[in-house]
Amino acid sequence: MTTTALLIAPVGLPLLAAASHAVFGWRPKTTAWSGAAAAAGLLACAVALAVAAVDRPRTGLGGLLRADALSAYMLVVIGAVALPALLASPGYLAAERAAGHTSAADARRYGILTQTFVAAMALAVLAANLGVLWVAVEATTICTAFLVGHRRTRHATEAAWKYVVICSAGIALAFLGIVLLNFAARHAHVPSSGALDWAELARHATALDADVTRVAVALLVLGFGTKAGLAPLHAWLPDAHSQAPAPVSALMSGVLLSVAFYAVLRVKVIADAALGVPFTRTLLAAVALVSLAAAAALLLKQRDYKRMLAYSSIEHMGLIALGAAVGTPLAASAVLLHILGHGLAKSVAFLASGHIQQATGSTRVDGARGLIARVPLTAGLFGASLAALLGFPPFGLFASELGMFRAGFTAGMGWAVAAALLLMLVVVAAVAAHTGRMLLGAHRPGPGAAALAGDVRLARSAALALTAALVACAALGVTAWPLHTLLDTAAAIIGAHP
Amino acid sequence: MSGSMSVAGTVEAAAQVVLVAAGSPLLVGVMRQVKARLEGRAGAGVLQPWRDLRKLLRKEAITPDGTGPVFRAAPLVLTATALVAAGIVPIATTASPLDGAADLFAVTALLALGTVALALAALDTATAFGGMGASREMTVLALVEPTILMSVFALSVPAGSTNLGAIVNSTLHEPQRVASPVSLLAAVALAVVVIAEAGRIPVDNPATHLELTMIHEAMVLEYAGPDLALVEWASAMRLTVLLGLVANLFAPWGIASADTAAAALAALPLALAVFAVKVAVLGGALAAGEVFMAKLRMFRVPELLAGSFVMALLAVAASFFLA
Amino acid sequence: MSDVTYVRLLDLACGAFLLAAVLVLWRRDLAAIVRLFAIQGAALAALVAVLGVHEGLDGHGAELLALGAGLAVLRAVVLPRLLRRAIVGGDVRETEPLVNVAASLVVAAGLALLSYAVTRPVVALEPSPAVRAVPVALTVVLIGFFVLVTRRRALSQVVGFLLVDNGITAVAFLTTSGVPLIVELGVSLDVLLAVLVLQVLTARMRAAFGGTDLDDLRELRD
Repeated sequence: MTTTALLIAPVGLPLLAAASHAVFGWRPKTTAWSGAAAAAGLLACAVALAVAAVDRPRTGLGGLLRADALSAYMLVVIGAVALPALLASPGYLAAERAAGHTSAADARRYGILTQTFVAAMALAVLAANLGVLWVAVEATTICTAFLVGHRRTRHATEAAWKYVVICSAGIALAFLGIVLLNFAARHAHVPSSGALDWAELARHATALDADVTRVAVALLVLGFGTKAGLAPLHAWLPDAHSQAPAPVSALMSGVLLSVAFYAVLRVKVIADAALGVPFTRTLLAAVALVSLAAAAALLLKQRDYKRMLAYSSIEHMGLIALGAAVGTPLAASAVLLHILGHGLAKSVAFLASGHIQQATGSTRVDGARGLIARVPLTAGLFGASLAALLGFPPFGLFASELGMFRAGFTAGMGWAVAAALLLMLVVVAAVAAHTGRMLLGAHRPGPGAAALAGDVRLARSAALALTAALVACAALGVTAWPLHTLLDTAAAIIGAHP
Repeated sequence: MSGSMSVAGTVEAAAQVVLVAAGSPLLVGVMRQVKARLEGRAGAGVLQPWRDLRKLLRKEAITPDGTGPVFRAAPLVLTATALVAAGIVPIATTASPLDGAADLFAVTALLALGTVALALAALDTATAFGGMGASREMTVLALVEPTILMSVFALSVPAGSTNLGAIVNSTLHEPQRVASPVSLLAAVALAVVVIAEAGRIPVDNPATHLELTMIHEAMVLEYAGPDLALVEWASAMRLTVLLGLVANLFAPWGIASADTAAAALAALPLALAVFAVKVAVLGGALAAGEVFMAKLRMFRVPELLAGSFVMALLAVAASFFLA
Repeated sequence: MSDVTYVRLLDLACGAFLLAAVLVLWRRDLAAIVRLFAIQGAALAALVAVLGVHEGLDGHGAELLALGAGLAVLRAVVLPRLLRRAIVGGDVRETEPLVNVAASLVVAAGLALLSYAVTRPVVALEPSPAVRAVPVALTVVLIGFFVLVTRRRALSQVVGFLLVDNGITAVAFLTTSGVPLIVELGVSLDVLLAVLVLQVLTARMRAAFGGTDLDDLRELRD
């Protein structure tokens, strides 16, 4: 009974918050904070589930929902990233309303949609059925479409259109893969009620027809990879992430990509058992290197700092895919650690960039010079989060990248790791140069450089949340102690043993 | 048995040729009459094309300066190919002595041979219109031939043979096959290319001499007298053969396919009559359609023909997928 | 229903399903494209109904018939109506597509062959009449992607997306008589919502750009 409640609460709490927005609207003192409260509740449930699911998976709601260590871990990631993002939301919206970009109705819609978005992500990681997982992932696209187009400008409309069309079409491929997997499962005598249950599929994987499964897995990786920002269908990501309001960008970049990749991980478990490790390894390594190359090439000439962050997300998803391609238990725990570390650092970076955008009125690197002198707190947070994203110690991403590369060399994928390292060097150089130009130097008002807007202080709640997230990210780099057992169990689920 | 069958087959094939030769100008007459009535005119009567041919045949044969043997031979080649095609296509019988040659490739090649001869003749005149007509005709031909091959090929997959007689026979034995997607797709594709090949609206307009639009008429502009009569007559026969092919591939009922010579000969008059009715109905429908349709602009024609090609290809694909 | 009739009806429904997709490539009139999409929805529903009758009217067959009715309502009535509403007051014709009509028809033929090659393992696993028709459904999926990539009007892109979806649904029913009911419901709801979202975005696009030509959407680029 308690497990069922624990499984339903992560989906239910955000939906309750959404209902509060629907009924009472967006009230700065009260309902504006309901989302953050729901996120805190979600995180608490995630921790409780993690404790409960470490020894064995828990199911609920007639077998529709299931939490094993991996789902619980992903839920922790969702909670940990959603909390700072939603804590920063009220301050962000207040500034948007003060600047006249957002009406009361827009704010209410923003509240409803962000909460259903979080609920859909929670459902995705808790679903026991690949079909329900697919429905939840597609639901995130629908929820976020209007959030991307929130400002209703030409740019926002364009970004929203591309986002919906490319993601829906890409994810349709994944559904085709699910249909074919269902077909293969029926022929492997999996009972029709459990034919899409990932645990059942993994159990019967050796009986699946290899040729059909191969087609299905390729489609699933390509389809969910679209949503995870992986090449070749990554074109929507920079547009959508740069046009969405900052807290939504933080959620989309920080967790939505990882939730989509979680689906790839579930598929990988089935595929490794059915087809052997080499198939998914080759597929994922190819996708990872192409994504890294695309990100590196486009980061060099980037002039827009929100787009820079978006391309950095593609780069990190490429790294995560590379780690998954390596697939040993060490690589798997490094991948999971990277997902959490990237989520925290990227959400801080996007939230800080949202504040920079409000302060300078521009998203161009040229328009935001000498930030250290102008908005020291925000600039400090932005710089620190980018240092984390570039993989500097002491942040968690340093540890996870190190782990991935070590595992890659041990697993005999030295060529892929070497290529990735080379591409990362380009990324580091490009991002560091752009960030340096934004943060350092004197502010020279001139063409393209915007003046500071009136009230430029970062709201106190947001500042606290961002600092806490960065501290957590740094702590992960020192020790993953509280998560140790959970990480090991989750990594054992996805780690292949060749 | 085989001896008497082949005698019967020869008689039937001869009857086919005579029917097509004599009836095709009448078909053109019927189509003109239908069109005239629908447009509110009295019309010249069904026999008018025969009267035209008689008038042309009485005239003196003249050829333009500088033209060579190609120009003079083309009408003969065109007529000969049309007559041979009329003999081997299963019109009234599937037991023609030329049955071995009644292969879909042979028929397509025969019809193409006639078209090419005419195009060469048009080039031989060295006039602007002749060259233009020849180039347009070749464009259309290049798009039409693959489609005819594809669609008849699609029909030949279920029958297991590319022999036209065998395809018609197998449809007779399994009538429900007509309603399959293979057959429907092939029918649509074939109908489009027949219209194109016969030079009817919306691809070409046989009643116009407007330089911007004409295709077939531009090629035969320099012909006069008996040569022109031959060309007109052969064109009518080609139209009849093509319509007959479509009719019998998709609705073969009434064709004489009896096992014994006597029964086959007895069924012959009925088969000829049924064929005449089928072709007249198809021709009438075509003419009625032309009244309500405008000619496509030249650059839209490839789209139409590409569409029919896709349908033919899908028909082939479907005959393999769904079989 | 005898086996021969079953196969005939199944093939006919598949043929109509495919033909509608090919004709979408051929027509430029947006209203005609929406009409073709409605016809395709009806063909899909008929396909499901044929499968349902074949399975027998007790148990799963009845469920399939109900699903077929639901599909008919959604894909032959509701979605076309939504699309038609998006046309009103806007552009009525496709502009010149990236790949001209004749070439795209030939590409469609190539896609049919590609889908035949891709689905060979599927057909090999269970060569029943329904599974043999899977290449047809996959061809529709590929044609949908092709429309999505090459057409320049917002509405034609939506139709392309819906063709993809119709094709995938057809694959689902042809292979295993459909995915679990809850998934089917979720998918239908998602598709409906996605079309609603796209319809609203089309209206916004018209307000922001003064038209729905997707060539205007090129301000965000690197």
